[in-house]
Amino acid sequence: MITTGSKLLVGSAVAAGLLALIYGVANGGALGTIGLISAAAGLALLAGISTYGRDANVSAMDTDAFESSAAAQASATPSLWPLLIAVGATAMALGLASLPALFILGAIIVTAGALEWLVQGWSERASAERGYNSHARNFLIDPLEIPIAAAIVFGIVAYSFSRVMLGLPSKSSTVIGFSIVSALVLAIGAVVGVKRGASKTALTGTFGLATVALIAGGTVAGVNGEREIEVHKTTAYYAARGECGAEEVSADEKASQTVAGKSNVAAEVIFDGTTLTWTAPGFVPTVEGAAPLTLPRSNPNNVMFRNESGGEARLVIGMNPRLDDNGQPVGPEQICTALAKEGGVQFLTLIFDLPSFATDEGYEFAVPGTDATLEVVVP
Amino acid sequence: MSERPSTPRRLAHAARLALLGAGALAISACAQDAPQDTWAPEGENAQTIHNLQWPIFLVAGIVGVIVMAVVLYAVIKFKDRGQPIPEQSHGNPIIEYTFIALPAAILAVIAGFTVNTIFDLAETQDTECVINVTGQQWWWEYDYPVAADGSICGYTPSNAAAVPLITSGQVIIPTDTKVLIRGTSRDVIHSFWIPKLNGKRDMVPGRVHTWRFHADGPGIYAGQCTEFCGLSHANMRMEMIALDPDDFQAWLDNQLEPYQSPEAGTLAAAGEVTYVSQCARCHQVDGLVDGNGDPIVSAPDQWVYSGAAPNLTNFMTRNTFAGASWDLLTPACRDEVWNASPEDFGAAYLKGVTPECLNEIDLKEWLRDAPAKKPMYADATALLETDGKVRGMPNLGLSEDQINELVAYLLERK
Ligand code: HEC
Ligand SMILES: [Cu+2]
Repeated sequence: MITTGSKLLVGSAVAAGLLALIYGVANGGALGTIGLISAAAGLALLAGISTYGRDANVSAMDTDAFESSAAAQASATPSLWPLLIAVGATAMALGLASLPALFILGAIIVTAGALEWLVQGWSERASAERGYNSHARNFLIDPLEIPIAAAIVFGIVAYSFSRVMLGLPSKSSTVIGFSIVSALVLAIGAVVGVKRGASKTALTGTFGLATVALIAGGTVAGVNGEREIEVHKTTAYYAARGECGAEEVSADEKASQTVAGKSNVAAEVIFDGTTLTWTAPGFVPTVEGAAPLTLPRSNPNNVMFRNESGGEARLVIGMNPRLDDNGQPVGPEQICTALAKEGGVQFLTLIFDLPSFATDEGYEFAVPGTDATLEVVVP
Repeated sequence: MSERPSTPRRLAHAARLALLGAGALAISACAQDAPQDTWAPEGENAQTIHNLQWPIFLVAGIVGVIVMAVVLYAVIKFKDRGQPIPEQSHGNPIIEYTFIALPAAILAVIAGFTVNTIFDLAETQDTECVINVTGQQWWWEYDYPVAADGSICGYTPSNAAAVPLITSGQVIIPTDTKVLIRGTSRDVIHSFWIPKLNGKRDMVPGRVHTWRFHADGPGIYAGQCTEFCGLSHANMRMEMIALDPDDFQAWLDNQLEPYQSPEAGTLAAAGEVTYVSQCARCHQVDGLVDGNGDPIVSAPDQWVYSGAAPNLTNFMTRNTFAGASWDLLTPACRDEVWNASPEDFGAAYLKGVTPECLNEIDLKEWLRDAPAKKPMYADATALLETDGKVRGMPNLGLSEDQINELVAYLLERK
């Protein structure tokens, strides 16, 4: 006898073969046809193995199974899940026409609903015994349902809370607010811990109230918007504006967007008070010696400036920007770091328009106020 | 169940036939001409990897065969013939602990050797030659920095002062030398891979990654980009050319020879004019000057998304083009280079592309309509998101006359 599983595989193989035929004729595409034929071959192989092995074939060994097996039981009861699926499908359709996010949400709802329905339908016919069936359902779906529900609740709480914290008028008020909330949580926790007999209703009431308050607060704060939050300028910001004078600008060396760039720079340029030297990944002093630094053209080069001198210092380089038709430079003529403190580090991104040979003096790093220079070659 | 006693025997026969067929297929898959064979190391670093992967493959193979054999045995031996279900047993601590400990021990040993190999390959202190590599859609650029003592890659030019060299597609290294490439990218992530010389290394925008190379003997070592990087990823290849010391010196000296304009009145001279008007905005030819004697400087950053186009100064010293995807040599001449004995290889390669050997067909097709040859995002109007800059070389709508002139001009770039 051919088992149900084998029938399924045989059917799938035939379907894949037919699809390959249809696809091949309709589209003339080789790739899709190859994929479908491969699928058909794979499925046919599995069907063969399944037919040959006939593993887990209950009825082959147990003729009673015709009455006792799950498939012989009454069909599943009506379910509400299709309703959810319909909602999801609607969201998908709307999303197609409007927001992609709505489409994705719809797709998630459809998947979740279909999964729930599937498990319900299966579990109700899992055996002839109702109690066992509901246990089977929970056993399968709980590990999925509980974490997801928890994640949704946690997400709502965290989001509302963050809206409240961002909406408070100042940074110090967030500290106070946070202290009050955490003290409250601690106090309630302590009361519950000490008074073993706290009634379930009281607890539920407290938590319910707190949740509602939090969500309400979050909604209000969300509508009001965040307070003004100061953005720290990066070195790149000042460099782009060519602010290379002696005056102090306070760039936040850690606030750069280019964390990854900093971890693997094109070169580090080091100032020891009198001279500029460089080192780079893979740089081997015995090979390159104290040669000029070579950096590629028209590519962002990340350079780290390390100030190991006794005072403050900044690194400057003339960029020889290309001139437009009116003879005006297209990019910044000079790029510099902010003043680096003693032992400080500043980050610089350089894009060279022209190769060295096409400029009058080539390229050179310098530290204003000192004689230290370092030649840069752009091939 | 007595109606099909002969089925197992028939199936066993079929299985044997299938096995035979699969074996034949596997054997035929071992190609003779496989320039990117990871099982054929030809340098120290690849050998280091090979010394690791071969034993692991062996161990994994043995384990795999044992597991498959046991599974097959179980499938055949315990096949349902209507017999009663055999006695079931559960929980045998000794077997279970063995099955945990044995794989753990095997994996621990493999991990030890693997980590050791990774550290070996990351070593940079013993470098003898440094080359910068920059990837972009869909070709590689190489530049050779000049050391403090005026040498390039450990070699001092004989006739000229050293200036940084730029080439593309093919990167030339001296044999038996510890070369370190320092690589980055101008647009998306690419990956540098010359299977016979070392494993893969990603080249990431804004970062510099290093990778060791070493070739035992002279020859062409083929490779390709192995990080999907867009439309023509498959056409982003590279070739590492190893030359013996004398040949490398000759190559270096030739690269540094000053630019020579074509003789007046020749087709190539007309080509120079066409080149300046049509190509010089993207491609650099070092030494080319305008009417005032000022150098003509390309500005690929204004036209191409990645900001670069191959330097064509010594174009015909390379023998492939456009991401090492097409040959500049006719098939016969190509064979002479690829199949040259180690002693003759250097001379064969250094000949470059001679007029008799030029594969005009592919080069002309390229100039006629590059995007038709190599899929590229070359329609500027569809590229407004990227400032209307093209990716790759656009179709320039050249006439056949212009193409003939340009080919004559390019033929002298060596
Ligand atoms: C808009 C910029 C641009 C212009 C103009 C241009 N090219 Fe290109 N060219 C490129 C880019 C980019 C590539 C690299 C394409 C690739 O390999 O994927 C290239 C590749 C080439 C190559 C192959 C080089 C190598 O080493 O692989 C040749 C040869 C070439 N171009 C010749 C020409 C000629 C001749 C002209 C003038 C008629 C010209 N190009 C005009 C951008 C340009
Ligand atoms: Cu690539």
